[in-house]
Amino acid sequence: MAHLTRRSFVGAASLLASPALIRPAFAADTVKLGCLFSSSGTMANLEGRLNYVVRMAADEINGRGGVNGRQIEVLTSDPASDWPLYAQVGRQMLQQEKVAALFGCWTSVSRKSVLPVVEQNDGLLFYPLHFEGDENSKNVVYVNSPPASSVLPAVDYLMGQDGVGAKRFFMIGSDYVWPRTINKQLKGYWKSKGIPESAWREEYVPFGFSNFQTLVNQVRSFASQPGGQAIVVLTVVGSSIPDFLREFANQGITATDVPILGLDMVEADLEGLDTAKLAGHLNCWAYLQAAKSERNTKFLGDWATYVKAKNVPFSADTVIDPMVSAYDSVQLWALAAAKAGSFAVPEVRKAFAGLSFEDPSGYTLTMTGENNYVSRGVFIGSVNEKRDFDVLWQSPNAPKPVPFSPYG
Amino acid sequence: MPVLRAVLVLVCLALVPAPAAAASLDRAGFAAGLCDDAAGQVRAAEGLIQSAGELPSDDLAFAANLLGALAERRLACPADGALLLDRPGAPEGRDALTGLARAAPDARVPVLGLRQRAAVETARGVSALLTGPDPAARSAGLAAAERRIATVPAAVLDRARDAESDAGLKERITGLAQAAALSSPDPVRRRAAIAAVAAHPSGAAQARLAALKGDPAYAADPAFRAALDAGLATVSRAVAVGDGLAVVYNGLSFASILFMAAAGLAIIFGLMGVINLAQGEFIMLGAYATYGVQEAFRRLAPGLLDLYLVAAIPVAFCAVALVGIVVEALILRHLYRRPLMSLLATWAVSLLLVNLVRVTVGTQNLQFVMPAYVSGGVPLYADFVVTWNRLFAIGFAAATLVLTLLILRRTPLGLDIRAVTQNRDMAACLGLPTRRVDRLAFGLGSGIAGLAGVALCPIYSVNPGMGSGFIVDSFMVVVLGGVGSLLGTLVAALGIGGANVLIEPVSGAVAAKVIVLVGIILFLQRRPEGLFAVRRRR
Repeated sequence: MAHLTRRSFVGAASLLASPALIRPAFAADTVKLGCLFSSSGTMANLEGRLNYVVRMAADEINGRGGVNGRQIEVLTSDPASDWPLYAQVGRQMLQQEKVAALFGCWTSVSRKSVLPVVEQNDGLLFYPLHFEGDENSKNVVYVNSPPASSVLPAVDYLMGQDGVGAKRFFMIGSDYVWPRTINKQLKGYWKSKGIPESAWREEYVPFGFSNFQTLVNQVRSFASQPGGQAIVVLTVVGSSIPDFLREFANQGITATDVPILGLDMVEADLEGLDTAKLAGHLNCWAYLQAAKSERNTKFLGDWATYVKAKNVPFSADTVIDPMVSAYDSVQLWALAAAKAGSFAVPEVRKAFAGLSFEDPSGYTLTMTGENNYVSRGVFIGSVNEKRDFDVLWQSPNAPKPVPFSPYG
Repeated sequence: MPVLRAVLVLVCLALVPAPAAAASLDRAGFAAGLCDDAAGQVRAAEGLIQSAGELPSDDLAFAANLLGALAERRLACPADGALLLDRPGAPEGRDALTGLARAAPDARVPVLGLRQRAAVETARGVSALLTGPDPAARSAGLAAAERRIATVPAAVLDRARDAESDAGLKERITGLAQAAALSSPDPVRRRAAIAAVAAHPSGAAQARLAALKGDPAYAADPAFRAALDAGLATVSRAVAVGDGLAVVYNGLSFASILFMAAAGLAIIFGLMGVINLAQGEFIMLGAYATYGVQEAFRRLAPGLLDLYLVAAIPVAFCAVALVGIVVEALILRHLYRRPLMSLLATWAVSLLLVNLVRVTVGTQNLQFVMPAYVSGGVPLYADFVVTWNRLFAIGFAAATLVLTLLILRRTPLGLDIRAVTQNRDMAACLGLPTRRVDRLAFGLGSGIAGLAGVALCPIYSVNPGMGSGFIVDSFMVVVLGGVGSLLGTLVAALGIGGANVLIEPVSGAVAAKVIVLVGIILFLQRRPEGLFAVRRRR
């Protein structure tokens, strides 16, 4: 054992210990797609399920014979909810694994960290979350809606006669780029409508904040002041959402007193809450599970079957917007690659113009040559007592996305 | 101009929804209204509120049944008529008018928008107020109607008052009826209304009275002005007091959470100098033990399910204390002379526990049944609401404090722990089994963390990652309070909780956290041993 010096031992051990960031599945004659969704850390409960949706979509396409005669192979990873790690894993996927496209990121922070990587390597990132807009990279496909086609219609609805005729606004957000940008645009929008600055208040809390008593007291006294109906625009994320809702309900404020528009609120956030006292609060997304369409019924059935068949550790009967958007992403990429007859990013990108896909939401997704944004429908959901959202309103068609907000 | 007058009369008659002398509800029309579009639903519900004062009880009960079904998405609307479903999404139901069973394939089930929801809630409240079988149901109805009292006609309140048998409820209705006359032309009734509004002070009452300052009568009628000023002064004072109480309560509640999280750590850190980074995960385990108890109750004794939180107290304590003792015996025992290693080891334990729970139970938030004694709240004074879950935590923290103090001060184990904390070597010389004391103390500290888990179930979402948020806060409390002093921990928790709650409304939650941290750093620079230092010899 003379060869086993201390140094060589340490070297070998560290090689063994270095975490396997990417889990590939080897096969010949395939095209690789990479996923950047965390299965550990704070985002695990939400992002984790998107890995499986991407696989499900790939299986579906492979069942039809693949793309351009090749089968799709999906590589998953675990960036562990650590924003810089998304960039590192993304670079590895593009440079070493030569993936044809990346699907990933939930928070805007992680997208911003991957952005320079996909731009340097001329890769393609499909981003499935609705977000703050004000970004237009040729290397990112924004599959979900910018504020102009999600948040503003919802706020319009609440300000209109069908909603509550909202005149005053209490904005509560987690302290990072998405809430701050959204609120900046909202303020610009209200200013353009002639609403005075005294009609809104803006408060931010740290990530993971949970003591919402003081803020709920402030909402109550804000709402009791004269000047018209008040609403809460909630942009807190993660565990702060259920904690805020619980305090709000416990203090006896109902949706008909002060409605909450929860911009990041999905079914998974209502787990563990008694929603009978929260019925009527709103969210807005490009897809809701309650959407009425045959394609949605089929999608829900497919997901339930997939969960059972592959023993997926997530609920078989909960489907949230980012899942459908991730599914749409894979389908859009496959359509574009087939249309281009190639997997090269410049060719695929050229093929985006004029692409259309009928997705589970019931709307027809379309893309133009102007930018990498996708036209999506708008749903406003209303919390019901079964920890679910009912479709309260939906747009007659899919509005054309506006990447850069004119409102600041 | 008799023609014009006749036309005017006709127009007026058409506009005023006739309060029908022989009043009865047009049941078919009402059902059709609820199945109409948003405006139609609002019209039907508001029509019911307007006419509720004259309608017979069975009509009101019929309407309440339909409104309840609509609110719970159990009202299906086929092309003709309306169906009541037993549960949302049921394939068949009973006809709302005839009660006959009928299939409802593809029938539309309306979803209430906020405007309709408000009208429906008020209409249900009014029906419950008038037809509720017991005072509790009528009181709940009154509370719902009170939220939008401006839309409830005086006739409804009069009828409810005349029919009411419960004295307390009758008084509330009378007060509401008086308050509704705020814009009455009769100055005497108006002044009575101001007094009635002022009798139930709140931010909303303050806004209602303040709006009257612009009324012409305020300048013209000295009696009115005096009544309004007096009423407004009463309400403002009450609201200020209520807000003050809310600040105290919020501070106490935050402090109780901090104290619960830090108490176990104070014992472990104070006694052994071990920085236990797994303390947050011990809290998480306590919450999961509570969940286990709930599930056991659900299986074995569903009738007693409401008591599971109480039953979870000993279970969580023992379970987590056991985990603590195992961790001590297997890992920490070997690392006492190496504080850095023990810090890393406990961190590893925390990661292990998080991932173990994640793999075995899952990452989702656990679903707890919240018994009535920890959900909702009661408005105590003005805008001050006592929320039961926070009160539970405050009481729990107080009980933990008393029990821990009793153990430390009054039991042989406590004597041993104090002796070892003050001078380990001397205690060993005198024959104290310091290793055993360490293990028991570690178990006690872990068990207290488990108790914190029970107290936090009704307040926070329970998931594998919930513990990580507590560790920094609890160290802050322990270090500020002074190592090894339980009273110091209490004072520090109260101080940090209070400071956070006081600063938050002024400068926001993010800045509050920063200011409190800076304050602690400055304080520790002047007084590194914390608020209450235990004298010890090392």
